[in-house]
This record gives sequence, structure tokens and C-alpha cells, in this order.
Amino acid sequence: MTQTVRDTQPPPSRTRELRRLLRAIFSTSLDLSASRMRLAALGFLALYGVIAIKLVYLGFKPEAATTRRAAAEAVAASRPDILDRNGEVLASDVKVMSVFAEPRRIIDKDEATELLTAALPGLDSREMRERLGSRKGFVWVKREVTTHQRDEVFHLGLPGVGLIAENKRVYPNGPIGAHVLGFANVDNQGIAGIEKYIDGQGLADLHGAGFGATPEELKPISLSLDIRATHALRDELEKGVTHFKAKAGAAAIMDVNTGELIALASLPDYDPNKPTDALDPIHINRMSVGVYEMGSTFKALTIAMALDSGKVNLNSRLDARGVLSFGRFKIHDYHAQNRALTLPEVFTYSSNVGTARMAMGQGVERHKAFLRKMGQLTRMRTELPESAEPIVPKNWGELNTMTIAFGHGLAVAPLQAMMAVGALMNGGYLITPTFIKRSEEEAKDGAERVIRPETSEAMRYLMRLNAEIGTARKVNVAGYYVGAKTGTAEKVVNGHYSKTKLFNTFMAVAPSDKPKYLFLTIMDEPQGLPETGGYATAAYNAGQVTGEIIERVGPILGLAPRFEPPHQPFPLLAKLGYGYANVPARGGGGH
Amino acid sequence: MLRFLNIVAILALVGSAVYAYSIKYQTSYRAEQITKTKIEIRQERDAIAVLRAEWAYMTRPERIQQLADAYLPGMKQVEATQVVAAQALPERLPRVDSIGQKLDSLGLSMPATPPVPGGASPTTPKAQGQERRKP
Repeated sequence: MTQTVRDTQPPPSRTRELRRLLRAIFSTSLDLSASRMRLAALGFLALYGVIAIKLVYLGFKPEAATTRRAAAEAVAASRPDILDRNGEVLASDVKVMSVFAEPRRIIDKDEATELLTAALPGLDSREMRERLGSRKGFVWVKREVTTHQRDEVFHLGLPGVGLIAENKRVYPNGPIGAHVLGFANVDNQGIAGIEKYIDGQGLADLHGAGFGATPEELKPISLSLDIRATHALRDELEKGVTHFKAKAGAAAIMDVNTGELIALASLPDYDPNKPTDALDPIHINRMSVGVYEMGSTFKALTIAMALDSGKVNLNSRLDARGVLSFGRFKIHDYHAQNRALTLPEVFTYSSNVGTARMAMGQGVERHKAFLRKMGQLTRMRTELPESAEPIVPKNWGELNTMTIAFGHGLAVAPLQAMMAVGALMNGGYLITPTFIKRSEEEAKDGAERVIRPETSEAMRYLMRLNAEIGTARKVNVAGYYVGAKTGTAEKVVNGHYSKTKLFNTFMAVAPSDKPKYLFLTIMDEPQGLPETGGYATAAYNAGQVTGEIIERVGPILGLAPRFEPPHQPFPLLAKLGYGYANVPARGGGGH
Repeated sequence: MLRFLNIVAILALVGSAVYAYSIKYQTSYRAEQITKTKIEIRQERDAIAVLRAEWAYMTRPERIQQLADAYLPGMKQVEATQVVAAQALPERLPRVDSIGQKLDSLGLSMPATPPVPGGASPTTPKAQGQERRKP
């Protein structure tokens, strides 16, 4: 205070006066007037009030977006690992470096552009200049750079250009299981398959709310797939598709008791590490996205319906003479026998006429209701977001029932048909297929019983019979007690069924007495070869491939081979008085 | 007296200040260590993730098959006949002391009686062992 006083350099009289005033203000004696005290108190109150208001204001004001925060929002979030049923890694996150820039902090934009484009080949310099010239706080320069490029950018030492670690999704197995896994984009968001399903299960919401889940917080997801079986299946299918010059093919293995898909492949396929390939329509998942007329494999459903109604039994005879005419349409048999066939013979000769008559015996409404109950008329939904609506005839008349009885006129997803045939095999439970590992109890918990256990056993018996003496003899792999059904559908070309363009399906179950696995192979337009005698029907190609698959995959899946026929494979049928008593001597060729 | 108390108080003050400072210094040192270790853990974890992905990539069935085709030319696909259940294996043979039996058959312990004609033949386990050695 004395300093101020001296600085002003007032005359002596004024100095004394000022001193008096200062003493009066800073005096601690209480005889001063109360009003002066009040004034001082008010002054301090005002000062602290201003500070308090400023604090509140700062508290309410939204924080300026820092670079770190902007970067945290932009970087690819971490995703849980995906494992197969044995714990093998199918998809995992690895850390990669990405280069970002803060245009506001870059001093020389031209120099930065020049240096960056030199260090990171593949950058468009004009676009880069534009991006760095923007007034944004945060822009990406390049995502996922190599370690070498990372070091180079680091050594450039440009102010306003930084590196940040990001998660990159990798699929070590390449195309194996690709259709199930789907893929994630550069921001690590699930775009297809199980990856998208995971996001739908709340992961996306978590990220959206700003909870950047750390990798250790995310529990890995165990799929039902077995990667070794999937590889074996895909390998055999690939060989088959190449050998028979098919346009496309797909195969799958399902556990009939749990509905788990053990293996699935659809060719041509893609590598999920290159997501752009996945969008090509030729790479669709033919098992769940494609809908096809399943051909004679549908006969199993018709016969199960007839058997379950009690109207026919295994000893029934059906008129399969000649051609079944309906208006101007005629239904032929491929292996025409022109006589009355027993029910097992209808199956083993794959008689269109016999099955059509059987369906007509039930009537249109019951046929429709049965197929609806088996889940064939509505869209089936699994964990995979990709699914397709079946193509059901608009006006379902008697002719439709006749043709649908043998698998023409109703197009379903092959996986959907697998679900129905699985129910025919597993004792009558309709279990929606799943790609997530689960137990039998969980699967049967919500499963609806659709046919009687006796009917299911009769169907297994017919499948077994067909593999022993019928159209599916190619697949009778020794030791696994396989049962099977072929299906050859003619493709519709310009509104007519083509005789040369075929769509072949093949269903097999192993072992038939205690069903465990259901195999399905489909082939789009396979060609006849000299060694098949020019035939292109299902047994020669799809059946052949299925046989190879069972032989190769059996040991991987731990199917115990038995070389003596089971003691009593079909106990319920034996109780009813059937057995192998009415086995026809021969069942037919390769339709 | 009062002076002494004052000195004690001043010393106590200085002492507590030094103590407080060292505690604070240690705390920040430890906090730094924790942060460092956390970063190390994260780096290790990332490295493990990379190695796991790499392991999965190197052991992918496709590659193993190629390698097996190239370097194991004699190997064939497993056939159903080669698969045997554990229960189907025969019981283990009882342990036999073949040397002791041989010694016994020499009849050294009983010099009075001549050896039994059938007793000197090789015992079963030995024959089995020889057979097993054949490829």
C-alpha cells in the first residue's frame, strides 16, 4: 500500500489524508460505523457470487469435443471372439494402427498432404488435400496401416497427425464357415451372419451408449459349427461341384436331436476377410437364402403325413399304374413299374404317381395344414439375419397338392426342409435349426411334437431301406447304418420344367436306428458324366458327394462305426409286426 | 520451557511435512507404475490376441491338409474299419515273470527231479512280445 502511495507522489497534506483514510478502512477496531462493514461484506459476497455463478455455468456447458473423445467414437469397437464347438477361433479382434489428422492443428496443409501421400501409397492426394483443408476437428487419413507405414508416419513427425490403435476383425479360417460367420465392416460393426446377430443381441446398443466394452468384458460366443467337419464338408463339396460341373452347390450337417448345424458350406463362397466379395449375389448362402423345389426329398413329408394320419400303413398298396392325369397335366414315374406298389416300394422307387395319390387321399386342406405344421409354408428364422420366404402357390388346388407331394410347386429354403426331415427322423420334434451351441434339453424344451414316434421310426426304416436297396444305394457307407433319400427337381426355364437343367438334393441320416446327424447336399445343374452313364440325377452326384462326406466326417464327429447290423433297429415297428418282412427285392435306379 | 515446546512443535511440523511429501511422492510413483503395468497388460493381451489369431490361421484345416498332402504321401483318409471303441479293446494280459519261469524250468532249485518235458517251452507273453515287434 505504501508503494502505491509513494508512486502517486502527492503533496504532504494529501499524503496524511490518504493515510488516515487507509487506516480507517483497514483498521480492525470495532468502533467504525456498521454501514462500512456492511459495504465490505457486500463486496465480498458479490465477488464470491460471481465465482459461484461461473462455476455453475462451466458445469452446465457441454465439454468441448477433444480429439481423444472424437477418436474414441470413431475407432472400431471391440467384438467378442467367435469360437467353434470345440473352442477353435473362428473370428477374433487384433489391434491395428490407423492414421488420423486434426486439420485445425495442421500448420502446412500442402506439406502434410505431400508427405502423407508419399508415406501411404494408395491415398488420393487431391482428396487428401480436401479432407485436411476441412474445418473438422478429426478426420481419418488411412485406416489399418501396416507396421512399416505406421513407423514411417510416426517419423514424419507432422503436428496434427496422429496414430491410434483400432480393432480389426480377422477370420483365420478364410472361407470355411464364412456364410455362418458373416462379416464385420471396417468400423467393426456386424454386417451379415452371426456377426450381425451378435450386434442385435445388445452389443450395438452398448457401444452406442458409449460403453466401449473392453475385450476382457466380452464373453466369446460358441457356435454349433465344428470347423474341421466344416472344412471336410466344404472340401468334398468343392470336389463334387468341380467334378460334376455344377453351377453351385451347398451342403450341411445338422444334429437332429438339438437342431445344431455342425457344418455348412455353400459354393461359390467368399473370404470374410475381404468383405466386398460377400456382396456379390452369386455368393449367397444357398442353404438359407435360396429357395428351391426340393424334389423327391419332399416325398418323405408326404409319406409321413399319410402314415401319421393312420389311413395307410407300411403294408398298404398304392396304385402306381401308368400315368396320373389331371386335366391336361400328366404325372409320370421316372422308374415306372406299372403295378400296385407297397408303401415302401413307393419310397424306394421314388414313385411320383404313388405319392401324388397318397397326398390326394389326405385332401388339399390336410396337406396344407401338415406342411404348415412342419414349418414349410412360412419363413424360417434362425440366428442368421439372411432368410427367405418360401414360394407357396397362390391358389392351392388339387394339382398343387399332387405336385407338391413329390416336391414340385413349392420352393423352400434347404435348411427349412432339413428342419422338417429332422423332425421326421428324431422321433417327431420340430426343432428350429440353430447356429449357437446348445444342449438337447434346451432344444427339446420349446420343440413341438409334429408326428408320432411310430411314424418317425417308420420313416427311418424307409430311409434305411432306400439306402440298402432303393435309389440311394450310393450312400450306403459301411459302418454307419445310413438312411437316405434322393431328390431330383427339374428347374423351371421359361415357365416350363426343363429336362436337362436339374436341381438335385440328397438327404441322409446316420445312424438310422439312433438318429444323430442329418446330411443334406444340394447341387445346381450338375452334368451327366461318362462314368455315370450320362445320368445327372441326384444319386449320381449329390448322393455320391454325401457318401464321401459321411465317410470323411464320420470319424471327425465321433460317429461309432458298427459292422454288425444293429440287433433291433426299429423296436416300435417290430412291436407293430413290421420288420424287414415286406422288403421288396429291388427298389429302383438312381432317380 | 515454552521455547522448548515451540521447537518441538516446529520439528513436528517439519517432520510431518516431509512425511506427507514422501507419501504423496510415493503415491504418484505407484500410480505411475500401475498405469505402466496396465499398459503392459494391454499390450500383452493384444499380442496374445494376435498370436491366437495367427495360430488359428497357421493351423487352419485347409493349410494342414495341404501340408499333409505334400509331406505325408503315404497317409490315407481314416476308414470306418480303423475306428475301434475303447471297450472293444481286449483285456490286458496278466503280468508273467518270464525270466523267473525260465529259471524255474531249468530246475536248478530241485536238482533231484528231472525237468518236466512241457515246462521248458517259451511262455505266451514272450511270443506275444515278438509278434508285436513286427511292423
